[in-house]
Amino acid sequence: MTGVYKAIFNLAIAFFFVLTLEGIGRKITARVQRRIGPPWYQSFIDVFKALSKHPFSNGWIFDFGVLMALGGAIATAAIVPMGSTFWTPFPNTDNFFVIMYLFAVGALGMAMGMVGSGNPWASIGVTRALTQMLGYELPYLIVLASMMFYYKTASIHLLIEKQAGGWNLLVMPIGAIVAFISLLGMLGKKPFDIAIAPAEIASGPMVELSGKYLGLLHIMHVFSIFVEITLFVDVFLGGGNFWWFLLKFLIVWILAVLISSVLPRFRIEQMLKFYWGVPLGLAFLNAFFVLMGWTL
Amino acid sequence: MAITLISILALSVAVYFISKLSWKVGAVINALAGAYLMIYLFTLKVGSSEVLGTLFGEKLLLTYTNASFYFSFVSMLVILAVMVFAIKWLDSQKYPSAFNMFLLMMTAASLGVFFAGDLLTLYIFWEIAVLSSMLIVPMGKKEARRAAIIYAVMSATGTYMYLYASFMIYSRYGNFNLAEVAKDLANDPSMPFKVTVYLLLAAAGIAKSGIFPLHTWLRIAHGNAPDAFSAVLSGQLVKLGSYVLMLVTAFFPTLKMFQGLELYSKIPSPNYFLLALGATSIIVGTLMAIKQDDMKMLIAFSSVANGGYILVGIATMDAIGFEGGILHVFNHALAAAIIFMAFASVVYRTHTTKISEMGGLIHKMPITFISYLFAIISLAGIPPMSGFISKWMIYQALVRKGMFVTAFIAFFGSIGSFLYVFRPLAGVFLGQLPKKYKDVKEVPAIMWIPMVTLVAISFIMGVWPFPILKPIEAMRADFAISPSVKIADASNWLVRGVTGSWNPVIVFNLFIIGFAIAYLLYTLFPKPKKVDLLAPHKEEGAPINIYTGGEYIYTPDLYQYNTKMYAGFERMYEKHPSWEKVLDMLCKFFHDLGQLVHGWFFRPSPSAYAFWTVMTLLIVFWVRW
Amino acid sequence: MKERTVWEQIADQLRSRSIWMLHYCTGCGAMELPPTMTARFDMERFGIMPMATPRQADILLITGYLNTKTLRRVIYTYEQMADPKYVIGFGSCTINGGIYYDSYSTINRLDYYIPVDVYIAGCMPRPEAILEAFQYLMEKIRKGEADGWKRYKENYEWYKQNQIRSLGEVYVHDEFHE
Repeated sequence: MTGVYKAIFNLAIAFFFVLTLEGIGRKITARVQRRIGPPWYQSFIDVFKALSKHPFSNGWIFDFGVLMALGGAIATAAIVPMGSTFWTPFPNTDNFFVIMYLFAVGALGMAMGMVGSGNPWASIGVTRALTQMLGYELPYLIVLASMMFYYKTASIHLLIEKQAGGWNLLVMPIGAIVAFISLLGMLGKKPFDIAIAPAEIASGPMVELSGKYLGLLHIMHVFSIFVEITLFVDVFLGGGNFWWFLLKFLIVWILAVLISSVLPRFRIEQMLKFYWGVPLGLAFLNAFFVLMGWTL
Repeated sequence: MAITLISILALSVAVYFISKLSWKVGAVINALAGAYLMIYLFTLKVGSSEVLGTLFGEKLLLTYTNASFYFSFVSMLVILAVMVFAIKWLDSQKYPSAFNMFLLMMTAASLGVFFAGDLLTLYIFWEIAVLSSMLIVPMGKKEARRAAIIYAVMSATGTYMYLYASFMIYSRYGNFNLAEVAKDLANDPSMPFKVTVYLLLAAAGIAKSGIFPLHTWLRIAHGNAPDAFSAVLSGQLVKLGSYVLMLVTAFFPTLKMFQGLELYSKIPSPNYFLLALGATSIIVGTLMAIKQDDMKMLIAFSSVANGGYILVGIATMDAIGFEGGILHVFNHALAAAIIFMAFASVVYRTHTTKISEMGGLIHKMPITFISYLFAIISLAGIPPMSGFISKWMIYQALVRKGMFVTAFIAFFGSIGSFLYVFRPLAGVFLGQLPKKYKDVKEVPAIMWIPMVTLVAISFIMGVWPFPILKPIEAMRADFAISPSVKIADASNWLVRGVTGSWNPVIVFNLFIIGFAIAYLLYTLFPKPKKVDLLAPHKEEGAPINIYTGGEYIYTPDLYQYNTKMYAGFERMYEKHPSWEKVLDMLCKFFHDLGQLVHGWFFRPSPSAYAFWTVMTLLIVFWVRW
Repeated sequence: MKERTVWEQIADQLRSRSIWMLHYCTGCGAMELPPTMTARFDMERFGIMPMATPRQADILLITGYLNTKTLRRVIYTYEQMADPKYVIGFGSCTINGGIYYDSYSTINRLDYYIPVDVYIAGCMPRPEAILEAFQYLMEKIRKGEADGWKRYKENYEWYKQNQIRSLGEVYVHDEFHE
């Protein structure tokens, strides 16, 4: 039963902490561009404002897709451990692949609902998002596979425990770098925001979203960010107590925001060539090092 | 067993004549026979064996093992669904009576393959299955005749290699019996012989399950066969190949046979060769599926990729990889059958298989859409459905063995499958409805009930996979592959792998709770106003529809995005080398050679004939035969 | 005016602090928006952001003159926006036609066709004036006075009559195909 409480706590942290971080991220981007920027609670206002509006719906599949997206994201966010064994809601089910593929439920729901709106921009955005997935997931999965091979476990909380001697960031730095680059793609941050390019394809999948649909998908996005960064922090930045976890989360987020605020956008095949070039090569190099036992 | 199989074979002929009178009665008889066989499987006792007859002094043996049970169960599940589906669907076909006959014949023959206790019986039933299915294929589209020939040739390539290997085994051990052969092979000192026999036997499986060098028939045969029969082809018939591959890699003690040939992480190099072929077919299948416009060919290529998964899983020579591969047989059989039946329903109503000619069918055929949706969730390996479990197991084996390149290919195939399953989803079911399909209706209940039933089975096995894991575990125990952990732990609700465990029930419940929370939030906030996709909103008289940059759009067909969906990605491998072209060149070469001989010997002039006749007679006299 | 419920008051507070505007620029006034958005004036500090589609947006900026062809698209776009929605008329062109007051192809007064919540006078208004107008709009939203979207619903017949008078029947008939 404690698992359920921890899962609820997970969701609460995901919602409040990540929405705050989004506001902070916008503030940081603004400072980089020499603006003042919105207050840190701006994202809360945005979400609840969007929820309060009177939306349009394009049929049942549209509604169902949004619900499936949010449901999948909530389910995933409820499983991920937050930086220690204690904050692991379901110690038997926190397998990396389970989290990774449960995460895809949300993505599929979003894709289905948005294409169900009947707008070609949404379809283009979704196909771009899927292609991008092909780009960033592969190096990431290879790095994670080599890590699982090294520690002989795919369970996230066990991976955290095994880092007591030293963070994976230091044990396999190449893998950490590759995973961070993949993380940028996963977050859809600036060089990789191909799927929701507002100026090209009218914000892609979100083109038909109004009012509460936009709000719900924003919440889904928040949970996704939580899952993605939490996985990175858990797997590469070791354990520690809860506050340490939040601090690491914050640092990773700020780093991603800083990188994204100075870079322009890739084209879709540039992105694929980029990911399948250096990061994938480095991921295999990392796997080779792990096989040979040449870790730091 | 023998009596049942033979009587079903005889019944199939009877069904032909009954169908001549009324094909509906024939189809119903077919379905009843399928249901009977399904029940019959559960009455048989594992380990029982029977003599079918004698051929050239050799006993033809039928044995019923755990593997037979599992594979026949999966087959019957698919075939029974298609048989029920066909009761209504057949009215769109030209040759319903022949279809009924060959379908039942193929059913009996493929059960015979799974029951076979020796190499020769397996071969006989195999050929019956291939021939009867080959005769159904040409009933489909225009190109289907060519497809049937290619199918037969490819299949024959495999089976003759298989037959050759069987005779090699017979001449060495004087025995066809599978169990005895397995023992003999384990003790045989000659490595070249074992490797040859192993690869030649595997060739039949490779040809049948569409593994890389012999995969080209899948596209053309699955794509052009009658629509419902594609479900059987991809869901069941391809699994005959997986069965043979399982026999040669797991039933034959390959670890013992190829001792000293270990290449990498304790996998013998012949097995590794098969594994590499499987991995290649994952890549080929995925890349080609992404760029197909014909939805049936798209899923045909996905069958190539999934056949690769099964082979990779089995060939890892690891308990969890083996279970994953075998479970993937079940998952892919169900998913492919549902998808092809959904496509058959779509074609039944729209008479086209081109994705680019369709769109927006969801509002017309919601049940078909839901079936397709759940099937692709299973095919792409996403948790609430059973497809995830097998993929997870295969990943476990690959990661644990440190096979990173193969793991990379498996990941690639998995993420690539998101891309290709999305294409029919968006192009056929979602988006704008072309005007010509505005009167399309949902298919009748008799057609959607089998689809929905299969979806329900796949779904339940995703949440509670232990019933289906039980025969697999028994099979694994038969083949003496021992795991380091208890894989299916039903008492703790856990599926375990070497690198961790997960609880399918918790995952499912979390998903339900997540959905409930989402629904709660959804109902909490203002109700949406329903708008049509493009037509003017009637109530207020004002056009409220989708975003068009302020422009008016009157032809919804133009506003449907379903051609060249992944153009950016497709452009990257536009100039890929094509194995089909290589085979075509080979074909052309033999054709030209034939032309040469033909031109040489069959001159139109009588004098040439006279010349060759005299020459032949002279040679005959000279050699004095 | 009807009394607002507590929830609506809270929602209005939120709406006033998060205004997403549509990237739909009709006339020369659009030129004044980039400086308003960027480092010099930075309107994001008030929570004002550009959005890509009418579905997501809260305010429609009519930045300058509207000829009848554009007006049609503007009305179309306005009706695609989700309630509550606000309109800002930009520059003197939207008030009385500006320097195009006697043109045969432009409309003179926007208020006849869609309800305008705030006008900004000037040709063209400077970013300071724009920010001032945004502040004023925020104040109006907070008080619940920015009710153009309600007026549009209530007086729909009147607006539609005006639209038809200037543009012909665009909604009922297809202008190219019928």
